[in-house]
Amino acid sequence: MQPLLLDADIFYLYDGSLEGLLSAVFLAFDSKENPSDILVEEGLQYSLLGSYQSVSTDLDHAERVMTGIVSTLGARCYEEVRSVYLSDEDHKGGVILRFLQYAFKHGRHSLLHLAHPAVNEFKEMLLRVTNEAHFIMMFARFAELEGGVFFARVEPRANVVPIVMEHFAERFNIQPFVLFDRAHQLAGVFDTSSWWLVDTRRLDVTFPDNSRSEEGFQSLWQTFFDTIAIEERHNPVCQRNFMPKRFWGTLCEQIPPELRKRRPSTETPSQAAKRAARLTGTVAAHGEIAGQGHDAQAGPCALEAGSCP
Amino acid sequence: MELLDKLTILADAAKYDVACTSCGVSRSAEKGKLGATTNAGICHSFSADGRCITLLKVLMSNVCSYDCAYCVNRARNDVPRATLSPRELAELTMGFYRRNYIEGLFLSSGVLRTPDYTTERMCESIRLLREHYGFRGYIHAKAIPGTSDELLVRLGTLVDRMSVNIEFPSAHSLKMLAPEKNRASVLGSLRFIHDGIKENYQDKRLSTTKRTRFVPAGQSTQMIVGASPESDYHILNLSASLYRSFELRRVFFSAYVPVNENPLSPLVREAPLLREHRLYQADWLMRFYQFDVSEIIDEDHPFLDLLIDPKCNWALNHIDHFPIEINKASYDMLLRVPGIGVRGVQRVWAARRERRLDFDDLRRLNISLKRARHFITCNGRFSEGIVFDPSSIYRTLANDAHRRHCKGVTAGQLSLFEDYETGPQKAQEQTAPLVTAAMTVAACSRHMSGSCGAPGSLAENMGISTTVLAKNNTSATVTGFWEEEATRRRENTHAALIA
Repeated sequence: MQPLLLDADIFYLYDGSLEGLLSAVFLAFDSKENPSDILVEEGLQYSLLGSYQSVSTDLDHAERVMTGIVSTLGARCYEEVRSVYLSDEDHKGGVILRFLQYAFKHGRHSLLHLAHPAVNEFKEMLLRVTNEAHFIMMFARFAELEGGVFFARVEPRANVVPIVMEHFAERFNIQPFVLFDRAHQLAGVFDTSSWWLVDTRRLDVTFPDNSRSEEGFQSLWQTFFDTIAIEERHNPVCQRNFMPKRFWGTLCEQIPPELRKRRPSTETPSQAAKRAARLTGTVAAHGEIAGQGHDAQAGPCALEAGSCP
Repeated sequence: MELLDKLTILADAAKYDVACTSCGVSRSAEKGKLGATTNAGICHSFSADGRCITLLKVLMSNVCSYDCAYCVNRARNDVPRATLSPRELAELTMGFYRRNYIEGLFLSSGVLRTPDYTTERMCESIRLLREHYGFRGYIHAKAIPGTSDELLVRLGTLVDRMSVNIEFPSAHSLKMLAPEKNRASVLGSLRFIHDGIKENYQDKRLSTTKRTRFVPAGQSTQMIVGASPESDYHILNLSASLYRSFELRRVFFSAYVPVNENPLSPLVREAPLLREHRLYQADWLMRFYQFDVSEIIDEDHPFLDLLIDPKCNWALNHIDHFPIEINKASYDMLLRVPGIGVRGVQRVWAARRERRLDFDDLRRLNISLKRARHFITCNGRFSEGIVFDPSSIYRTLANDAHRRHCKGVTAGQLSLFEDYETGPQKAQEQTAPLVTAAMTVAACSRHMSGSCGAPGSLAENMGISTTVLAKNNTSATVTGFWEEEATRRRENTHAALIA
């Protein structure tokens, strides 16, 4: 395998849009140049070595690249390119370019050449983005605002709101909601019929307070979360592996009990019952508990419990 | 009682149910209705014990007329009791779902009066949620053995997954610990649901969408491990036959956590978590790695090795199949390499069409080489520093496991390193750990007696003496165990009467 030769000192610059990136890819193919990277122009740290070439966004060129990808490599591959474009990593432009250079040369089979550096880099970056999107599907927590709009704030490490909006819009189609990505200042807005994206960088919006029922649901959820853990199986490392700490800031169940508005009891009922039994003697505890279970079915049961020494 | 208190009681009562999966059915959204399901399922949180939370797991009621020895909700326990009304349950599920806390509902219940009465009330709750509230998320319901067929059909058409708990690996243990339940009715319910799914699926008169109306995500079951004396051999053969005859999606294992003071429950100080883990590994081998149960475990060595995983164990016992050349091996053989999973095999399979893979390529493909490197060659060469000798491989892998698992795990688990250094007398005093110790030691002896071993050095390395080994190999048989327990129980009652 002949390694691709890099024109080490050429860098393409684009405006940060997907069309811009595809235009740069088009230019690289068209001019038969091999730039070592394609970078976002805004906020770039220029180095003394190397020449920088700013590529203007050309919708026509971008579309030609898009149709090229779809026809030679498949629609799914185009989806993947788009996902990788949403990565936060600086070198995504270069990664996409090298992947496309390799894939256009070797055809559809090359998508399986996972050990080839160009494909490997691309697939790894894709995995990081799709994982991040999945994390958002798992850990976005909506809160009902006054007026019935649901609002969730997330801080993903890739700009994944565009990928996950379809998922949420489908399942939550009876409620208007806003999914706000604070890290990328982008909000997905759904109004029960369609969704769109809003750039919030130049926007100053204040949200209404939580609705009245919201606090109740949050404390119900916190209680459920605390109760469902089995003490004898306590395993915080396992918990953190599955649910990294960076997401805890937006999870209402991970607010420590002392900071919660309404502090639920950390005792499980069985512990509470044991404690009560210790304090008041067994017979008294029976009386109390039989009194608590006010449902009709509790009757025979409490009797049964009472008859046991 | 406030909803918050009810939820606390009923979630606390439901937490020992293992199944928390929202997978197996893909249902797209419908305009005007809340919810959809994805085939893979989505976890939404992880509790402090590291288990995933994907469904709102509650009991409809923890009032129970049964008196099962292992259960926290048994009739004689004086725990607070509560019952959720259908409306409360529906509001709770909808509220949680709208906030992206859950994928759906897991509904179980204590037995209110009779199984039929309970199931009828469960049906009512779920029907309200599905039809009145238009909920399209995932619902998993527990079927109580002994429920009538009509009610099972009604419940089955409302939910995605059903499960019937088999509770214990043997009919005898079930009878001892759950006197009101019997094996025949459990298996009867499993068979009925299985037949229902099949019949519905094969009904040519129905459109394809309607063919998956009845329990579309299949059924599962669970059993408690460590509360009764059955061996892993018994448990795995049982689950294999359940997969075979009832086409279950999952068999769950639940490490026994002693919740009741009970003369019948064995003396377990710690939940046998590592044993549960190994059983799950074996279960995965059967479901995804084309292993037959007879390859994983045999009657002469009825317990899985706690120090190495079942796949390593198989590889070490069939060392003549190894090392395999990663660039030439068949797909089936790649699946049998310890440390390489199904995804890893797929990546290797795809990537080697383009080039001959070396160890760097494997690393790039995210193949974990920690275990695999002992069993594979790339282009005819081993990874650096590998000595292909079964006993040294066993030692390396077992030491790794020891370092990883031993910190938090005590006695009954890897007692071999801690308890058994104090000698055989102490070991004999403890009934329950004896069983677990026997299996570990038996597993070790297998490798030591095999052609591959360097027996003496391994035994020393493990810190066990051969006398312990000989003593513990005579572990109690299943019935013998229960006879002993029964005698102990009689003695206890007798003593209590005198007092």
